[in-house]
Amino acid sequence: MQSGTTDTKPKTPLTALGQVVVNYDRCSYCGACVAVCPPDSITLHDATLIIDQNTCTRCRRCLPACPTGALTLELKP
Amino acid sequence: MKTAYDVVVIGAGPAGSIAARTAAQAGLSALLMEKRQEIGSPVRCAEAVGRDTAASFIALDARWIAAEIDTFSVTNSRGDCVILPPGERTLVLERKLFDRELAHTAAKAGADVVVKTRAVSMLRNADGKWHLALSHHGDDTKVEARIVIGADGTEGQSARWAGLKTVPELKNYYSAAQYLLAGVDVNPRICQYHLGWSIAPAGYCWVFPKGDGQANVGIAIAVDPKGTRSALDYLDDFVERCFPGRAVLAQVVGGIPISNVLPRMVSDGYMAVGDAAHQSDPLTAGGITNGMHGGLFAAQTAVNAIRAGDTSARFLSAYEKAWDAEFGGLYRRLLRIREVLFAVPEHKLDDMIAHAAQLDTTHLSVLDIVKLVVKVHPQLLLAMLPYFVSDTLSSH
Repeated sequence: MQSGTTDTKPKTPLTALGQVVVNYDRCSYCGACVAVCPPDSITLHDATLIIDQNTCTRCRRCLPACPTGALTLELKP
Repeated sequence: MKTAYDVVVIGAGPAGSIAARTAAQAGLSALLMEKRQEIGSPVRCAEAVGRDTAASFIALDARWIAAEIDTFSVTNSRGDCVILPPGERTLVLERKLFDRELAHTAAKAGADVVVKTRAVSMLRNADGKWHLALSHHGDDTKVEARIVIGADGTEGQSARWAGLKTVPELKNYYSAAQYLLAGVDVNPRICQYHLGWSIAPAGYCWVFPKGDGQANVGIAIAVDPKGTRSALDYLDDFVERCFPGRAVLAQVVGGIPISNVLPRMVSDGYMAVGDAAHQSDPLTAGGITNGMHGGLFAAQTAVNAIRAGDTSARFLSAYEKAWDAEFGGLYRRLLRIREVLFAVPEHKLDDMIAHAAQLDTTHLSVLDIVKLVVKVHPQLLLAMLPYFVSDTLSSH
């Protein structure tokens, strides 16, 4: 059984849809976003939260799940 | 830390500590590993727990009891307050000390306990053993386990690695925030719930006294995909309205699954417990002793599995059966009650609580509640009836 990743294959780049950005001054590193992320694209280690933009599907589920409103989907300039 | 164990438990919260302790007490070799540098910290909890249930797991100790609670109250958005009849005595804990003491009991039972140790990946080989890659104080290391018990919380990944479906529907997931406030003038023996969709949409606020004028003041709201305000935004409004200007000693946030337990909590050689298995109560999201029961049942199953030499998912499903026998019916009813309760319009909810506030609740009977519900919102009765019939009439 493979660990660490899910079956989600990287598709066409989704950067056109923008990317989920973390406001690290608001983030409390609670991991509420990690649990609701279908492709398991969010990694939490202590005071580090990293979103893998290559596997993130921009489904936006993490945005309202964040208790502090630290996540936003930002369109690229 | 050894290189191989019968049972490796990922996560040293209450569920994990009880699992490791139970396995070690039965003579299994057990490793309890915590990713953080300190067991019990940071706290992500409102810290209320049933007194007798807690006492069934660990000798009560004043060091980790912040307050003793007689009963609960429910307040509506207009300020009408119902004080409920006393049920099981409740404790508000100092989770930092409680969690550490539970892990201590696991250590005393013979489990190896380590902190700052994180599972990086796990693979189950043809030999039927899990091979875990760990980061132990920043160094890569490996450990083997015949059974892995995942007690790694809401954000834990071990259940996904073991092939379980863990991602909840957003409506079955609370986004929660809490402040530890000082200078709060509340009855120190009553835990307060505040209900009202304008205060906490699809959720509730709480005020749990911690003694010495301190209280956990928090909010949990079911995640609304279209929501634009965070749990912390709503909490700030509630605190501004009820406790303006009070000192904030701590901020706690987190996500809590309220979906009822995972459809499968086991796979070959693996069992999920506690928040990792969504064992928090589907109505209130309380999860401390529920998770401890999960840890107990999982470890008991692990003991039987290792004695029988069979760690297959089929054998481990005894754990799911044990959970379902104890909590299955109750959880299905609590989930249904939440679904129906959250669909009641706020003005009806306000009316119901206002009516109840005029009753003498010290002698409130089930019949009184039924009459009240029929009067204000009969639909609610359909959902609540089976709950009252089986739980109030039984000794639960």
